Amino acid sequence: MSIQFVEDKHIQYVIEQESHRTFEYWLSEHLRMNGLYWGVTALITMKSLDENLNRQDVIDYILSCWDSKNGAFGSFPKHDAHILSTLSALQVLKIYDLELKMLSIQQKSSLVTFIKNLQLPNGSFQGDKFGEVDTRFVYTAISALSLLDELTPKIAQSASNFIMECFNFDGGFGLSPGAESHAAQVFVCVGTLAILDKLDLIRNETKLVNWLSERQVLPSGGFNGRPEKLPDVCYSWWVLSSLSILNKKHWVDLNKLEQFILSCQDLKEGGLSDRPDNQTDVYHTCFGITGLSLIDHKKYDFIEIDPVYCMPSEITKNFKKWKK
Amino acid sequence: MQHGIKRQHLSEEAKKSKLEKDQIKIKNYKSLVDQLFQFRDDNLYNEDIFKLTTKCLLINPEFYTMWNYRREILLNLNNTEIFINYLKEDLIFLLGLLKKFPKCYWIWNHRKWCLMELVDLNKADWDFEFNTISKLLELDERNFHCWQYRRYIIANMKKDLDSTVIEEIDRREFDYTTTKIQNNFSNFSAWHQRACSIKLVKHENSYDCLKDELDLIKTGIFMSPEDTSIWLYVKYLLTDTFFIDSIKSKNDYMDILQDQLKVVEEVNELENEDTGKDNVECLKMIIFLKDLIMKQEGNDKFDKDIQNIIHKLVDLDPLRKGRYKDMLQNQVLTE
Repeated sequence: MSIQFVEDKHIQYVIEQESHRTFEYWLSEHLRMNGLYWGVTALITMKSLDENLNRQDVIDYILSCWDSKNGAFGSFPKHDAHILSTLSALQVLKIYDLELKMLSIQQKSSLVTFIKNLQLPNGSFQGDKFGEVDTRFVYTAISALSLLDELTPKIAQSASNFIMECFNFDGGFGLSPGAESHAAQVFVCVGTLAILDKLDLIRNETKLVNWLSERQVLPSGGFNGRPEKLPDVCYSWWVLSSLSILNKKHWVDLNKLEQFILSCQDLKEGGLSDRPDNQTDVYHTCFGITGLSLIDHKKYDFIEIDPVYCMPSEITKNFKKWKK
Repeated sequence: MQHGIKRQHLSEEAKKSKLEKDQIKIKNYKSLVDQLFQFRDDNLYNEDIFKLTTKCLLINPEFYTMWNYRREILLNLNNTEIFINYLKEDLIFLLGLLKKFPKCYWIWNHRKWCLMELVDLNKADWDFEFNTISKLLELDERNFHCWQYRRYIIANMKKDLDSTVIEEIDRREFDYTTTKIQNNFSNFSAWHQRACSIKLVKHENSYDCLKDELDLIKTGIFMSPEDTSIWLYVKYLLTDTFFIDSIKSKNDYMDILQDQLKVVEEVNELENEDTGKDNVECLKMIIFLKDLIMKQEGNDKFDKDIQNIIHKLVDLDPLRKGRYKDMLQNQVLTE
């Protein structure tokens, strides 16, 4: 029998994140901007954003995280700018205003400079000036530049070259050239190519789609992130979005995946966890719910989520699409 | 982000009492953080503050801004000797943290940063790094941060070495994957590493190397045919140009494929005797091999035999039936 989706509890769970200010809450300041994006995305997917979060409060919080020294967003007031928090900030602001009018022209131009300066000669991106390189940051930077409508042919070309260097013999992508394939890295690489209109580079790589479909495991029906690992709700998003971008959602059992996601709900207090009966968090709650939206948004009366940007399709349809 | 932690439901009362108990911890932590931010605003960089960042990062190793401040302090030390000592001590401090938080990106990032600073000063202790990463990989053999760091230090240490030493290192890394795989055939991280390092090792010729590899995996296939990691590696061996180009003739290639087919069919038969069912992974491999053979023979349409196996897979591996149906319809194997 199918488990019901306890929408009201999840809404309550997300909005209460901010009110439970335990010690752990203060230890997660470095993730607060991402957490805001996960919460906002979960709520808007369930068509419950505006009545539950005050638009101006959210915008004010984001603006309070502006790092004027580096010219981009940190995760919390006074925290340094990083590409991860910068994308999350832009995604939420874009949901509230497509024109990003809450940002000054000055701020927009420093954002563009900040992001462009993170690109290295081989096309990869660092997360900040301290040098960590990862395909996650390539996606994050490319997506952010796309939101700002500031992609250029040179950036697009070198970034997609770098992405293809991270393609592995088994059909997946890793975090850098030579690194093991991992489902979240596959999403960021496929997503980057999709934004850059470069999907033709992997169009004939059916072993990629094969690899993705092999992520679904029994008995749970959930997806794992790598061969011979346990399933985890967040891969519902990373894998299914990639399959969706490649038009191959039917290569997995969506019904089984749906049951797995539902089984990871905390039916009493709301929220979703990585696996059944584990501790919930807003990250797994977001990607479980967006995963359900990809499976069947009409059934849950959710909005449709764009698999490339992990944002409402209603919003992304207005983005100027990059053409190579 | 919570991973692998059991769910707990606290009563309202327990929640309240936790929050009350947390108040002192929160107050101390926040005042430490506020103090550090104030010092940073005042452009202060000294060894006392460095110690405070240690205190803060021990409580919260994910605090990337505090790692940034720590690096700024290090860069402001103005004395190379002291700087080097601090970097070396940090590598020891980080080993302790990584044992506790082996998946924290920010700690790995800081380790790389310290190491690169030492490299620039020609003070890197590669043996120490190497032993450190080997220890950490013992604790979790699938941790991709560890594997990544291992590749990173190997790539960097090779930069200063002459070719014979590099050859030795490459051989040693390749042998390391053999050990890891023999400990656990399901360790795909080791298979991945093997696939990369096999091309770096000097072989008499890649053909013999291919033969050796196929012998090695045979044991694994017989032991646990449902393990997906081995099959990914076999497919690589049989299709990557590094090996294929070493095969002298089409006939030799066909022989290898036929041999493999025989092995897999035998394993599948054994499975059938044991369980009364075909083994899904074996069936996938059989159609993969038959498709390669078919193409060598110049055919581009599935014969009845392949079609039958795909039909079996629709029943035996229903999760992916959409994929098999696409295969049948397009007459193209999905590899």
